[in-house]
Amino acid sequence: MSGILIDPGKCIACRACEVACEREHGRSFITVFEFESSAVPLNCRHCEKAPCIDACPTGALFRDKDGAVMVDVKKCIGCDMCLLACPFGIPEIAGKVMVKCDLCPERRAEGKLPLCVQTCPTGALSYVEPNEFSAGRRKAYAERLALRRAENAPGL
Amino acid sequence: MKVPVVCPYCGVGCRLYIERTPSGYRLDYADDVPGIPNENGSLCPKGNAVLDLLSKDRLRKPLKAKEEGKFVEVSWDEAIREVTERLREIAKDDPNGLMFFGSAKTYNEPNYLVQKLARMLGTNNIDHCARLCHSSTVAGLKAVFGAGAMTNTYRDIERADVIMIWGHNYAETHPVGFRYVIKAKERGAKVIVVDPRYTRTAWFSDIFLQPYPGTDIALANGLMHVIIKHGLYDEEFVERRTVGFQELKKTVEKYTPERVEEITGVPAELIEEAAVTFAKAENAVVTWAMGLTQSVHGYDNVRAVATLIAITGHIGKPGNGASPMRGQNNVQGACDLGVLPNVFPGYQAVTDEEKRRFFEEFWGVELSGEVGLTTVEATHEALKGRLKAYYIVGENPVISEANSRNVVKALRKLEFLVVQDIFPTETVRLADIFLPATSMLENDGSLTNTERRVQWSFKALKPPGEARPDWWIVSEVGKALGFTGNGPKGFGYRSAEDVLREINACTPQYRGITPERLKSNLAGIHWPCPSEEHPGTSLLYTESFLTPDGRAHLASVEHRPPAETPDDEYPLILTTTRYVGHFHTLTMTGRSELLRKRWREPFLEVNPSDARRFGLEDNGWVLIETRRGRYVARVKVTKAVKPGVVAIPWHWGANVLTNDALDPVSKIPDTKACACRVKPVGEAEARRILEELRAEGVVA
Ligand code: SF4
Ligand code: SF4
Ligand code: SF4
Repeated sequence: MSGILIDPGKCIACRACEVACEREHGRSFITVFEFESSAVPLNCRHCEKAPCIDACPTGALFRDKDGAVMVDVKKCIGCDMCLLACPFGIPEIAGKVMVKCDLCPERRAEGKLPLCVQTCPTGALSYVEPNEFSAGRRKAYAERLALRRAENAPGL
Repeated sequence: MKVPVVCPYCGVGCRLYIERTPSGYRLDYADDVPGIPNENGSLCPKGNAVLDLLSKDRLRKPLKAKEEGKFVEVSWDEAIREVTERLREIAKDDPNGLMFFGSAKTYNEPNYLVQKLARMLGTNNIDHCARLCHSSTVAGLKAVFGAGAMTNTYRDIERADVIMIWGHNYAETHPVGFRYVIKAKERGAKVIVVDPRYTRTAWFSDIFLQPYPGTDIALANGLMHVIIKHGLYDEEFVERRTVGFQELKKTVEKYTPERVEEITGVPAELIEEAAVTFAKAENAVVTWAMGLTQSVHGYDNVRAVATLIAITGHIGKPGNGASPMRGQNNVQGACDLGVLPNVFPGYQAVTDEEKRRFFEEFWGVELSGEVGLTTVEATHEALKGRLKAYYIVGENPVISEANSRNVVKALRKLEFLVVQDIFPTETVRLADIFLPATSMLENDGSLTNTERRVQWSFKALKPPGEARPDWWIVSEVGKALGFTGNGPKGFGYRSAEDVLREINACTPQYRGITPERLKSNLAGIHWPCPSEEHPGTSLLYTESFLTPDGRAHLASVEHRPPAETPDDEYPLILTTTRYVGHFHTLTMTGRSELLRKRWREPFLEVNPSDARRFGLEDNGWVLIETRRGRYVARVKVTKAVKPGVVAIPWHWGANVLTNDALDPVSKIPDTKACACRVKPVGEAEARRILEELRAEGVVA
């Protein structure tokens, strides 16, 4: 499935992703952490083997048809188990239920990108199949090497 | 229906849609328009927050002051009558008793009208905030290349192999434009950043040069010294397309890397490395902004950098060029349309007999051939009582101008102040008459981004109350002043399109940029566009420069210190900065909760060694004093600034501290470097001082 891949090497800590998410959802499910010489945006990874789903005693966490990890608020009892299980500390309890990134289901239904990805000015966020992403990276790297060679080749 | 608009903030000029829904308005991304500056429709945080401009405290009715800051509502008729009577009375004795401010935050059309109004009244006292940001760029580039605009486009930045970013926190001030730097880097391009602070832009640098504020000429000369010494300049280009090389060679000879290291604090090896990298690049671009321009020698700073570009031949071909980055979404347009005291629309000098005759005939009045006042000069003249009235459109000089307490004094001294704006700003408080304008999203018109791209923005929102488009207000004032002639001879416009057609007729660069073409082409057209058939020009100077002899005029300039240097009393250098989530004087972004909660307050950046030296604690309060004023903020201890340098964002009013000494040519103030002292203060004391400053009306 496609997921939001984060390339912290391109993040400029502008927090457009946060602002866009908060505008639509009332709060931001992506958080940008800024350090002295870099920044790391972080949101739910919608993990392939999601420990939060395994930890949930009521079955409130489930996967939708695109593979996104979703919360059924009617079933959520606010027990904090997912919050303990998630290695990234993503789930938050708001009021009495867990909330987190849902990968913008209405936008996905229209074939659009999740908001944070759509707005990111630098391309630090992308919504892709991981294998597609790595294939693209491999090709880009190979092209760079080839280019360097071509530059040094006389008469080309 | 989704209405395409242009972002009302920075000079990137991003497109977005605004859609009316049953519950209000929604923002949507313009991910389906090819060729726009924000490819894929992405937006920075400010762009994402544009709908917060629907804030409740918009001004909805014309206001008249009973006393300072106390207003009563009046009708449009009464407001216009009052404005025209007062202006007429002052103009009768001496038109130069009037001063007009256009605005980089409104469309080309009203800007054209404001300068037309000033000039028809007989004065060239017309200026706008470009004076405070890029007047040195306009003058400096004109001297070297013949015209004062960006010579290339964002796409050329993407195509470059070396990108030199000078005095410009590109990632923070033009986030969407910065994607072109990142894309170039992905392709293997090298990035050289020159900045007194280790900014987010510097995160992306391969070579980082950290000079002391105000030492740019020495650095540029150092780079040229190395390039000439190693024979790395473009001999053929220098020979064929430039003049002044021999003199330059002599001037930069003494700027050895070692000497430049002493002046700037940049290690000699880094100067060598940067020079060689830049000169050897196949394609290279230099971008810059306020770090270079806001200086008492801003004009020479720009000329030095332009000369560096010229001797390496990095201009006039794809992937090369000089890219000054404009801050507001229509600074370029306001300059193009003559909102400057020395030129008519299209940079046609008021002192040029022939150009003046053209406009005299076109507008049907006699025109002054005497260069008018710039904003900072206007402040000084008002203080002396020689200037009687200001008409300010969409500007907030109380927060944006250097040494702002002086500005308040000057505005108070006026006989008459009209402010035309959308929110109650610090400047509005001092107005005699307030005219409520529509925000950019509530009316339509054309505007010109940093890369000379003219785009049309459509009306997407309903204006609040009786707010009216800027073009309408200025036209009403014009008509009421008696300029009721036909066509260009009067102010009888029915729409922004009417005005743009008049611009087409008198501005050579905009001749082919008609309303019809702009409306059917959302990506816009780059000027110069000399005819309706012309596709527009994205790259300048491919064959020759716009100087009289067609050659680049290399500048030989010597290093001079800033107007103020540290001493025993004021031992630190203060420089000013911005935050990505805020825009200029907070008039608009300060009203967005989404932005305000993320960028809540200003922090003074202090190097750990200075923090120890002056007893400052991270997050504690500090009092900052200069020869002009005092200001308080919290402290951020960081290695991003070097020992001896402190930095503060100016959005909240830090201009009470900055120096209004002027560059003699471009008249830009020395905002980026002044001497200051700091000391820790308690929170209660800090809040008291802030209250005092607020009562004075000089902080936001
Ligand atoms: S929008 Fe993109 S660049 Fe900006 S903070 Fe988020 S991930 Fe980083
Ligand atoms: S909440 Fe945590 S564990 Fe669950 S899918 Fe998201 S990142 Fe994975
Ligand atoms: S980069 Fe500039 S034009 Fe684009 S969204 Fe941000 S403020 Fe608006």
